[in-house]
Amino acid sequence: MNEQAGTTGAGMGEAAGGDDGTTMGVADAAVIMQEASDRARRQLRVSHRATFTIWGLGLLLGYGSIWLTVRGQQPFHGLPPATFAVGALLSSASIMTGVAQAQADSGVGGLSAVRQRIHLLAVLAGFAAMFALEGALAHTGASRSVIGVFEASAPVLVAGLFYFTTSAVWLDWPVLGLGIWLLVVAAVGGFAGPSGVWAVDALAAGLAYLLMAAIEPWLRRS
Amino acid sequence: MNEDGLDPVIHAPARLRIVVTLAALRDGDDLSFTRLQELIGLTPGNLITHLRKLEDAGYVTAEKNGSGVTARTSVALTLAGRAALERYTMALRQLLDSASSRLLSPHRRPGKRRFGAPRARRLCCRGRRVPSIW
Repeated sequence: MNEQAGTTGAGMGEAAGGDDGTTMGVADAAVIMQEASDRARRQLRVSHRATFTIWGLGLLLGYGSIWLTVRGQQPFHGLPPATFAVGALLSSASIMTGVAQAQADSGVGGLSAVRQRIHLLAVLAGFAAMFALEGALAHTGASRSVIGVFEASAPVLVAGLFYFTTSAVWLDWPVLGLGIWLLVVAAVGGFAGPSGVWAVDALAAGLAYLLMAAIEPWLRRS
Repeated sequence: MNEDGLDPVIHAPARLRIVVTLAALRDGDDLSFTRLQELIGLTPGNLITHLRKLEDAGYVTAEKNGSGVTARTSVALTLAGRAALERYTMALRQLLDSASSRLLSPHRRPGKRRFGAPRARRLCCRGRRVPSIW
């Protein structure tokens, strides 16, 4: 070790000449590394915490308010026009998520960008197929109850598969857990009936998202 | 390598920031010149100068795609660059550890430590706290 380069004792902060006109000691280098790394991670990676919070609140409020309007329907005669407001709420959540992702991805190219595009296409195709299938169910004479269960469970199913595949691409284990949980909720929630399924999905899926938002910083650190 | 074992190509504030920022990307990813400039806070001229030095050392690649208004220069860390950063980080850690232990040694009695290493590390840097990047 050499003393001049500031490697010992009080010399830690002393300068080692940099050829960019500035000087840097070992301690300075460590500080610069930490700051640059923190800044890059903060700016280049989207905050999952914000995304999970948006979706958790969207599901809790959206599905919860639908349940409040359809509970007690005997027989079940479908969703009220207010459903469009819920659709708008969840669409806003999607747009906010997309904007946050786009800001983080700005300027980033290569394999990640290709993966993101394929992933986005998969989600869009999943939702398009879901709406087509709902049309087919109505066309073949499925009852309002069957369609009601489908309308509540199918988006959760698509979201669950989305997180499942996300975890495969990025090897993100907490997200894998969320994906599995959403698939279970989608599969089991329907047994609560065309009204109850909205309450089950609002609580089970919405709270799961909020839990993920709460523990996300801890998961990233560990 | 200089006599401290620190790679002189990386051991300059601007180039250290560039390499660390590019290392935050996932394998196979690159970053546009303008976004890198925004993250590092250098003028285009300065950034080009430092990128050229890193490119000459084989630590980064810069590739220009398109032409005119659609032109995009993307910068990526090479495998050699990533390995060099790892070596640099290890060398830096050793220097800090060595400084910490030197600070500890005059006060140490067998079987009884007066300071913990983290505290010594904080003290050795003139009151500035050295972050735990490792």
